[in-house]
This record gives sequence, C-alpha cells and structure tokens, in this order.
Amino acid sequence: MIATEEKRIQSPAELEALQKELKKSKSTAVKSVHVCIGTGCAAKGSRKIFKLFSQAAEEMGGKVTIDTKCVGCHGFCERGPIVVVQPGNILYQQVEEPDVEEIFRDTVIGDKVVERLLYQDPKTEKRKKTVEEVPFYKAQHRIVLKENGQINPTNIEDSIAIGGYSALARALTTMDPEQIIEEVERSGLRGRGGGGFPTARKWRSCREAEGKQKYVICNGDEGDPGAFMDRSIMEGNPHLVLEGLIIGAYAIGASKGYIYVRNEYPLAVQHLTGAIKQAREMGFLGKNILGTDFSFDVRINRGGGAFVCGESTALIASLEGRAGEPRAKYVHTVEHGLHDMPTNLNNVETWANIPAIINNGGDWFASIGTEKSKGTKVFSLVGKVVNTGLVEVPMGITLRQIIEEIGGGVKDGRKFKAVQTGGPSGGCIPAQYMDARVDFDELTKLGSMMGSGGMIVMDEDTCMVNVAKYFLTFLRDESCGKCTPCREGISQMLHILERITHGEGETGDLERLEEIAELLNEASLCALGSTASNPILSTLRYFRDEYESHIFDKRCPAKECRGLFSYEIVQDACKGCGICAKNCPVEAITGERRQPYFIHQDKCTKCGVCIEKCPFSAVMKV
Amino acid sequence: MPIVTIDGQSVKVDHGQTILDAGKKAGIWIPTLCYNPALTPGGNCRICMVELDRGGWTKMVTACNYPVREDIKVSVNSEKAIRIRRGIMKLLLARSPESNELKTLALRMGVTGTPYPTVTESQRNCILCGLCTAVCEEVIGHSAISFAGRGVDRAVAAPFRQASEDCIACGACAVICPVGTIQVRIHADTGEAEISPFKTRVKLLYCEECGAQMVPELVSRDMLDRVKIDWKEYRERLRLCPECRRKRTAESLGLIASKQKD
Repeated sequence: MIATEEKRIQSPAELEALQKELKKSKSTAVKSVHVCIGTGCAAKGSRKIFKLFSQAAEEMGGKVTIDTKCVGCHGFCERGPIVVVQPGNILYQQVEEPDVEEIFRDTVIGDKVVERLLYQDPKTEKRKKTVEEVPFYKAQHRIVLKENGQINPTNIEDSIAIGGYSALARALTTMDPEQIIEEVERSGLRGRGGGGFPTARKWRSCREAEGKQKYVICNGDEGDPGAFMDRSIMEGNPHLVLEGLIIGAYAIGASKGYIYVRNEYPLAVQHLTGAIKQAREMGFLGKNILGTDFSFDVRINRGGGAFVCGESTALIASLEGRAGEPRAKYVHTVEHGLHDMPTNLNNVETWANIPAIINNGGDWFASIGTEKSKGTKVFSLVGKVVNTGLVEVPMGITLRQIIEEIGGGVKDGRKFKAVQTGGPSGGCIPAQYMDARVDFDELTKLGSMMGSGGMIVMDEDTCMVNVAKYFLTFLRDESCGKCTPCREGISQMLHILERITHGEGETGDLERLEEIAELLNEASLCALGSTASNPILSTLRYFRDEYESHIFDKRCPAKECRGLFSYEIVQDACKGCGICAKNCPVEAITGERRQPYFIHQDKCTKCGVCIEKCPFSAVMKV
Repeated sequence: MPIVTIDGQSVKVDHGQTILDAGKKAGIWIPTLCYNPALTPGGNCRICMVELDRGGWTKMVTACNYPVREDIKVSVNSEKAIRIRRGIMKLLLARSPESNELKTLALRMGVTGTPYPTVTESQRNCILCGLCTAVCEEVIGHSAISFAGRGVDRAVAAPFRQASEDCIACGACAVICPVGTIQVRIHADTGEAEISPFKTRVKLLYCEECGAQMVPELVSRDMLDRVKIDWKEYRERLRLCPECRRKRTAESLGLIASKQKD
C-alpha cells in the first residue's frame, strides 16, 4: 500500500501516475493468494481461511513477500470456499481450514498443486488446474464480473491498479455529455434490471428534461428470490458501480445520486460505504472531480424489506420517506421523479457496464450479443443444477449451453423438466425449448422473460402447479395493496391454486385463473401486478396436463403435493424391519418380521413419516 | 388545446386535464370510486379504466388521472374496457359483499353478482380507495388516519390502530366514503361524537343558550384557529347554535327586541 499525504487526484495524469506506481509495487510479491469472501463463501467460513493464509504469509517474515487478499464473488458458488493462487490462476475449490497449511506449503511456497482440491470434471474425472480450464468459466464472457476475484473490494488502490476510474478520467476530460450518451447509444445497452429499456434513451430524456436539480439513482434492491447478481457486483466491485454512476451523472447533468441497497445485503452496504469514503478521499466524488468543474456526490439508502421498492416509483417514494408504493407512470420519472425533479434510475448491472463501454467504445460492446440485445448478462443459475452460481455470458447463448455446458446439467442424474427465468415476473420454459437463445426478446416470445437474470432449474420431481403457487404466495406477501386487481386478484388466484393443490380443484378453475390473469395484466398499477400472472400462465401453457391431473384425477404427477400421491412399499427392497409400522401414526402399515410390509391405502393419511424413517429406501412415491 | 376523441365524439380539453374531464364534457359516463374533484386522484381502485388507442395497439389506462397532453383516441365502451371494468367490480364485490352503495354502482355497470368468494377481510366493506385519508390530509389538514399494513393486510387506521389524537371528528371521511364504511355515531349519554371504525371520540359542543347539540368541540376550535378574527363577541357567538346565533346577531343589530330590555 502506498501511503500518500495528499490523496486527492487532481487530473487524469495524476491518476495514470498512481496506477503505474501501484502496479510496480504489486509486482514485488512472489505469490498472491486470493480468498473469496463473497457472502456465499463467507457463510462457509472463508474469512477464517483468509486469516490463516494471512498468518502464514506473515510468518514468512522478510524472506519472501506473499500477498494475501480478500476478493469478491467468483461466481462458482457451488464449490465455495474458493481460493485462487497467482501467478498461474490456480483454482482451489471447497477449501477447508485444515487445507490451508497444505496449499501454502505446496503451491504458495513450492510450485506443486494439491490435486484433491482442484476442480474435477464429473464426466471425464480429470482434474482442472487453472480457472480458464474449468468448464464453468470457459463459456463465460466476463465484463461486469471480470475483476471480481482479482481485487480487494475494500481497497480502492486495487481497483486503480487495474485501471479503475480511468473511464471516468476519459469521460470527464475528453468527452462532453452528448458524446457520452452517443457512445452508450452506439453500444445498444439496455437496462439490466428486467425492463430492458434502452439506457441511452433514458439518459437523453433525463438530460433534456427541465429541472434545477437532477438525480441519478442506482437500484440495488434486488428482490427476485434466487437472484444474487447485483449483490455480488456490489460486494465484489463497488468501485465499478460508482464509476458508472459518476459518468452517468456527468452525462445527464445530475449533481446528486443515491444508491438504494436492500437492507438484507449488509456486506454490500458495508463495501459500498467504504468505497464511497475512499472515492471521496481520492477526489472521485465531491467538488471539482479530477480537476474539472463537475461536482457530484452520492448517498446510500437502505431498503426496509419490501420487494415492491424495486419498482422505480416505489423506490423513489421510499427515498422521499414515504411508504414504498408505486404511482401511475403516465408522467415519467425522468421528468418528474425524486422530489418532482428529473431522475434517472438504473439497475446496478447497467451502471457496472458503463466504464467498459467508455474505455473500449460502444462498437466493441455492440459486437457482443444479438441484434437487439447487446453485451453480456449476468445470470444466477440455481436450483437442481450441478454447478450453481453466477455466470456472465454473451446475449444469444442458448439455455442448453448455460444449463449443460456451464451448469453441468441436472444434478443427481434426474431429468430436466423446466427452467424458470425472470423471477416472479417470469415463467417456466420446458425441455423442448432448451435451444432457445437467451436475450430480452426470445424468452418473452416463449411466455417468460429474461428479467433480472434469475434462472431456476427444475427436474421431474418439481410440481409445476406448486411452482406457480410459490411465486404467487411471494407476490401476495409483497404486493403493496394499493390497487384492486393486484391485491384482490392475486389472493383470488392463490385461493384457487390452494384448492387445486389440496385436491379440491373444480371444473372451471383454469378458466377462472385465466380470467383473473387478464385483469391483472391489463388493469394493475405497476409491473408487480401486471406480471404476477406470468408464473401461472406459462405453467398452464406448457404443463396444462399437470393442472388437469390435479383437478380431475386429484393426483400430483410430480408427487410433491401432499395427499395427491400415494406411498407404497417396494417388496424387493423391504427387509421387514418394521420401523415404518412402528412410526405410522394411524397404524396403516402391517406385516411380519422379515417379510415385506404393506401400506393400507384406505387408512394411510399420506403423512410421509414412513419414507422418512425407512433405512432401506424401500418406500416409494407412486 | 388537445382533442380527445372519446367513443367517437371529439371534445377539446385543456392541456393537462384528464380523460375523465373529457368524458364529462362529452357526456359519457365513466364509473369512479376513488376519485373526487376536490382531491388529487390516486388512480388506485381501477374502476375507471378505459382503452387508449396507441395506433396499432391499445393500452388500458385510468381515466381519472391520465393527463391529456396531445390528441388522443379513447374507447370507454369497447368490449375489452367493459369486460375489464366489470372484472374489477366483481373483485370488489367479493371483498365488500355487504355494501349497498357498491351494489348500486355495480348494477349501473351491468354487474349483478360476483363469481369470486370472499378471500380477503375488509374493515366493514372498506375498498381501500383512500378518499378518507386524502380528504383528512389535503382538505382538513389533520392527517388523522392513513394506510397501515401492506398488501392484503392494508387497512385505514389511526396510528397504532388506537384512537387518534389528531382527529377532530369533523366527519369529512364519513361523508366522502363511497361504500358506507365510515360512520359518525352520536353518543347522547356521554356527549361525544365517535368516528367509527377508528375508535376516536370527541366531545360535542352544546349551545350555551338553548342546549342544542352542535359540532364537535375540536371542529369549533379548528375553525377559530383558521379565521383570524380576534373579537371576543365573535368567539362567544360561535358557542351558540345557528338559531340562537341568528337571534343574538339580530338583537345586537336592533332588529328585534333584546331580552334584556324587558
């Protein structure tokens, strides 16, 4: 770390000089150990692992300089804690405290690898040594997540050493606002929060709107269940987001900005707070940034735990201290937003793309992706897939490539059934469309949407009616309750789904669901309501037979809905131990020692205790 | 002045006026519940939805707060708009099955019943239109009641769902409620007016001369605060009922014989 007395950078030349200096000092370290402390790895104890590595490095004393560093999320969360040793980009996965000594001795001091901690390809059983060799990373194209894993997010000098804030220097001193907007326009960047609105168009409308004070807002209220893209960007590279936000503010003419982070992301709040403080010290925020006459500062606001506050007008209401409720969008927020002033709100990932666009040019960005969807997108790949984690891929990649090549396919050898994309506003896409290309428009044609990037893989044991019920329950709890169709309609739909999953479905239920879905779609005040029926409509479209089975046969084909399937004892597997009969609360199982037991269906209440207790897996769902 | 073509009729409106204003000018009825000309339109009940022509596709918008800023074409009675509005009404009837006012409006819209069961609880048929909270905030200036809770648990209440410290029992909320949820109850035994269901009770003023029941005491105090007349006789007159006040004023003007003279 370079200690500087006067920290403020007053010009692009000074920034460049500092960058050179920092690069030189880093190259004196012989080896470098990067330990991921993203929330996922931290939850598995990676902070302690970092401490152990740091201690070991210190004990080397003056003999050899070993650099140990905390880094942000690499994305391979299934295999955490992740440790990468440089040089060589050697990736160790599922590292535990006892492994630290071995890694330090063999790879950090010595030049060997610890084979058993390397990633093993499940198909070939071959061990992969470097990050690039691991299939999970091969098909990815990392722009936004590029520096995660290389920098310590709590140290601004790490960011500067690899070029952080150079895009800001270029934008402020060699481009004027209109040129910046043109560059973003050339890139074709569209909002990454789900809406996909052309970013340059929004910026331009805000720039042209009248108002004596303009605001920029970074929407970090990531609320979709299963989505953690924005979290990892804010935790792992807060300076990237800040840089994009400052550039945008300059282009629009805003002097004040807000970063709205959901309160459930304490590490993101912590890292952003630290980043803002350091950026201010270095003069990237505040008055006369980099010696220009552009002044801008930013504040963090934490959310209060409402999904609806991810909606822009609800977020703005929350910032103003009012209850987070949306309002009619006939008057746009770019004209009348926060405090009735022109306001430009964008998602975290959208802002994070800006520095790369300024540095490499809009044409470069537009060369990646499809015709109408440019650049890359970060997806959170979760559910019944082998490699869960964060992936950044070019738009236009197919679902199959994401789920099979990167994701490693469905786990435990089960069969793929559907992939749910777009969170509660999205829908399920079945196996026959696995080769669909992922971008803003293709998935919408199939009845879903790309949304903010959530991808939940489902296998044959997933009941699609239950999936619709899950999302609807979530939306009912999160609805602000202001408008009739959302508040009443979601409850009505949920009531019907509850009946269906409890074997009380009636003829006409599906038609009723479709009627209410139309009301929600057309009459809701905000997108929470208008997209609420997507989970139901998409599962109805592709899995109508499952609904009909629930309603007419009182049967759940996936064997998930209690009471709608039966339990039977597999004669060949049963050892006649009697444990099931002993635990059955209604004495529905009979049998003799060492003879296969039998479940009497007329007595069985389908509680599931027998399948839980059987030590030989002899009870099966039918 | 932009032109609104509404169900075939063309009317001119001021820039910024709403589709509802255009409807009124054209003599075309659009149902409303959460709208009142004295208050900022909330656009939350959705019963006033109409179909806006976007050239090639249409979009449903709320008539009460859609600002007309250019020439537009609107269908109030298209098949889709009627279907959507009736659907909203059916949802409301499921929530508030006992309100006669709601049933009357429903009938006028062509809705006689609802296929939906009652799955959400409402406070005596409250449809959460927000008119009561809006009038208390914008016109009366007391903000004694507001929305509490979120989603299906949303309800109109005073802070902590206890009796309000700011309510003056003026009854504006009761007057403006479109479904009869809010009622003013006079308790003769305790001399109080109660705003039900908000549990607030305020002492009533009784005429100093004849003992007739008048407005709640806090209403009178509010009126006094707002009218800057520092005249002792004026304050005394306000403690009389309108009848007695008239007599006293007439006496003081010499129009009728004062009691004192006799």
